[in-house]
Amino acid sequence: MSLLEVKNVTKRFSGLVAVNEVSMNVEEGQIVGVIGPNGAGKTTLFNCIAGALPPSSGSILFDGREVAGKKPYDICQLGITRTFQVVKPFGSKTVLYNTMVGAFAQTKLLHEAEHNALEVLKFLHLDHKKDVVSKSLTLPERKKLELARALATKPKLLLLDEVMAGLRPSEVTDMLPIIRKINETGVTIVIVEHIMQAIMNLSEKIYVVNFGKKIAEGVPHDVVANEEVIKAYLGDAYVATQH
Amino acid sequence: MKQLLNQKPIILLISALLLGALFALPLVVTSPALMQIFILIILYAYFTSTWNFVGGFAGVLPLGHSAFIGIGAYTSTVLFQTFGLSPWFGMIVGGLLAALVGVIIGLPTLKLRGAYFALATIAIGEGMRVLFENVKQVGPFKINGPSGISLQLVESSFMDFQFDTKAPYYYIILIMLLLVLLLTYFMMNSKIGYYLAAGGEEPEAAEALGIKVARYKLIALVISCFLAAFGGTFYAQLMLYFYPKSILGLDLSFEIAFIALIGGRGTILGPVLGALLLRPVSELTRIYLGSSLPGLHLIIFGLVLIVVMRYYPTGLVDPIKKLIDRFIHKPAREKADDLSNPS
Amino acid sequence: MLGIIEALINGLLMGSIYGLTAVGLTLIFGVMKVINFAHGSILMVGMFAAYWFVKLTGLNPYLAILVVVPLLYYFGYFMQNWVIKPIFEAEKDVREPITVIIVTTGIWYVLDNLSLLLFGAEYRVVKTSVTGKIFEFYDMYFLLPKVIGAGITILCAIYLYWFLKHSKMGKAIRATSLDREAASLMGIKQSKIYNIAFGMGCACCGVAACVLIPFYYVYPTVGVPFDIKAFIIVVLGGLGSIPGAIIGGIIVGIIENVGAQFMASTWTELLLYGVFLFVLLVKPSGLFGMKQDF
Ligand SMILES: Nc1ncnc2c1ncn2[C@@H]1O[C@H](COP(=O)(O)OP(=O)(O)O)[C@@H](O)[C@H]1O
Ligand SMILES: [Mg+2]
Repeated sequence: MSLLEVKNVTKRFSGLVAVNEVSMNVEEGQIVGVIGPNGAGKTTLFNCIAGALPPSSGSILFDGREVAGKKPYDICQLGITRTFQVVKPFGSKTVLYNTMVGAFAQTKLLHEAEHNALEVLKFLHLDHKKDVVSKSLTLPERKKLELARALATKPKLLLLDEVMAGLRPSEVTDMLPIIRKINETGVTIVIVEHIMQAIMNLSEKIYVVNFGKKIAEGVPHDVVANEEVIKAYLGDAYVATQH
Repeated sequence: MKQLLNQKPIILLISALLLGALFALPLVVTSPALMQIFILIILYAYFTSTWNFVGGFAGVLPLGHSAFIGIGAYTSTVLFQTFGLSPWFGMIVGGLLAALVGVIIGLPTLKLRGAYFALATIAIGEGMRVLFENVKQVGPFKINGPSGISLQLVESSFMDFQFDTKAPYYYIILIMLLLVLLLTYFMMNSKIGYYLAAGGEEPEAAEALGIKVARYKLIALVISCFLAAFGGTFYAQLMLYFYPKSILGLDLSFEIAFIALIGGRGTILGPVLGALLLRPVSELTRIYLGSSLPGLHLIIFGLVLIVVMRYYPTGLVDPIKKLIDRFIHKPAREKADDLSNPS
Repeated sequence: MLGIIEALINGLLMGSIYGLTAVGLTLIFGVMKVINFAHGSILMVGMFAAYWFVKLTGLNPYLAILVVVPLLYYFGYFMQNWVIKPIFEAEKDVREPITVIIVTTGIWYVLDNLSLLLFGAEYRVVKTSVTGKIFEFYDMYFLLPKVIGAGITILCAIYLYWFLKHSKMGKAIRATSLDREAASLMGIKQSKIYNIAFGMGCACCGVAACVLIPFYYVYPTVGVPFDIKAFIIVVLGGLGSIPGAIIGGIIVGIIENVGAQFMASTWTELLLYGVFLFVLLVKPSGLFGMKQDF
């Protein structure tokens, strides 16, 4: 049984179909990539899985349980945590405080939450910033904090929405082993990313969406060779010149 | 508790001295009028501290707290007048009723944008005043409409919550305030506190981290209403006379909110500082200018509020703390400077 | 039976005036997501302005509109620009702008008590050419100034609706209410949109103030009941919806006037709070509000 099974999920906004009959399967322990041009519907798909928005139709099974339409906090408690593409730190609070909020998902005790949060921060090389107020962080640091908070909830499935966008190439290179290490501790990951190098490198399987529709899926190598994918990314003209 | 004791010794020492001074105050101050002013400062600090659970930590703006205070005052008083029930028990009943009303407004509004909550509380505050002004009697309970209730005077006794001198009132409200501040401290340093702060600041992110934001806000509201009602009972016992306009309605609600924002909402000491700053203004202008310039203290309140929000949007606790920190650390730093510059 | 119909129509008349003040409130909220708690005080300022205008010049009260409305427009414009803007900017990224809300209540206090200092607490009425005139209609009697007032407010609301839908500035204002950054895309400074929206919201109070003067008292806290009613109305009609505000206003006016046929006026006030709570419990987004976001 797959850990996450998305079946024919559709999300409509008045008039616009942002996600159109998308299905995907994520096995336990995998890293799965989702790519597609801006506005393709990737974030909306995450919103549906994480409960921020109810899907208009379709079903989402997590661990065999239907989660479509459930509230975000319930879904988080079941073991799915997501990060936000547009970061949402608790701005007036410190990095440690932010991370502890995540850690409280697993404990009632302050010192335990603090201990777990510090561990996560150390793991992400963010511990030297622990007492910094989060609104004064740089964007890459905020993205990392977003990840730290999510990780502190100890999820089974982590949905990462462009956590590497805006990072310098050297920082991306630093992030890759971190994400792989998270995965090695037993966390299944679905990752949305624009940086092809990163996603090719990480994912076992990639889904490609465009205009809300899934246009390809498979191992990274096959997917990049797919003509429709190239079209979606580089336009028809590019495909024509290749022939 | 560990953190409480982890402070610098000098701060602990100062706090202990301050606390000692507070408890010794009635021994020094003999004027009942002056005692009354001190009692009211502490009472308003108490009101505002209860407000702080919602307005400070849950990230919404209650503008009708007088409703809960009024429920407290009326409940304990009518129970005492009708059945002779000790106001100490009446206080609990009042607290429960206030909490119930809190749930009724909180349940639908706390899920919505903050503006709805602010509007709902303002309407509840005013609605409660209109209600009590309309009602003369409910069953056996005399409410007396707009003319209010004078408490039946009895001999000074703890059980009846009436005393000949001001000192007992002073100690009661001081202890009530200290307990609420302690509760605030523990709440801030617990899961509830973290969850409230998170939900108040970024509800979407908080929900994604597993927090039932509306539920936590409701918990905060219930605690707040319950304790605010206690303050209402205290007010009734202190004044021995109250009427809807004095204890319900907008003026009291707004004063509480103003005190909180000027002092620093969401901090432990903000309400205390705010009450210390604003209460004397209100007492002094009322005593000296009350008849010639009515409402002057409210103009001052409003202006102080606008100016403080402009320059210190988080309230005055932070800048004052910084000032004190500088003061305490200065000698130490100067010493260090001396060592590094052996001239 | 005739009494009830009369009360119904009276409610409609008074309700449309309530509605216009609520339109101002809802317009400001729609654009800035800030409840202007000082709204009633601004109405009070307008009423005193109209009162003194009529008292000193002896002119027709409806001419006061030409003076009071621009006055309140600029009053609101500059109040937003000087007092509210700096505080609003400071918490621009915060989802629930609490500081701004509390500052508008501060303004409320300053204005109400300032006018108490200046004019005293007494209730003032000014005798105008229409004061006390009766308008007869099928054996029912209405105060003429109420009829005229309702007509003027309805015209204003329709104009405002048209303005927001079709003029360039109106489109910019509506775009800003959906997306804060939108104004800058249309080449207009966002803060200017806020100033204008605030000014227009206050101008609505100006119109309401002028039509109230011929048949209503003026006193320093006259704004408070209008304020509270406007709050109830915007929740009834849905925060941010202009037709909702007008219809909500009419509902409130009707409850008040028809209710008065059966109970004391203080009880109708209570009934309003009851209706308010009920709507909040059953349909918190109001009768016309958007479901999302709020
Ligand atoms: N809450 C919303 N309301 C209306 N339209 C939305 C909403 N969220 C996203 N959309 C629209 O859905 C489409 C997909 O957006 P999104 O999922 O953010 O794309 P991606 O993350 O792939 O860049 C876009 O056209 C976007 O404008
Ligand atoms: Mg996206």
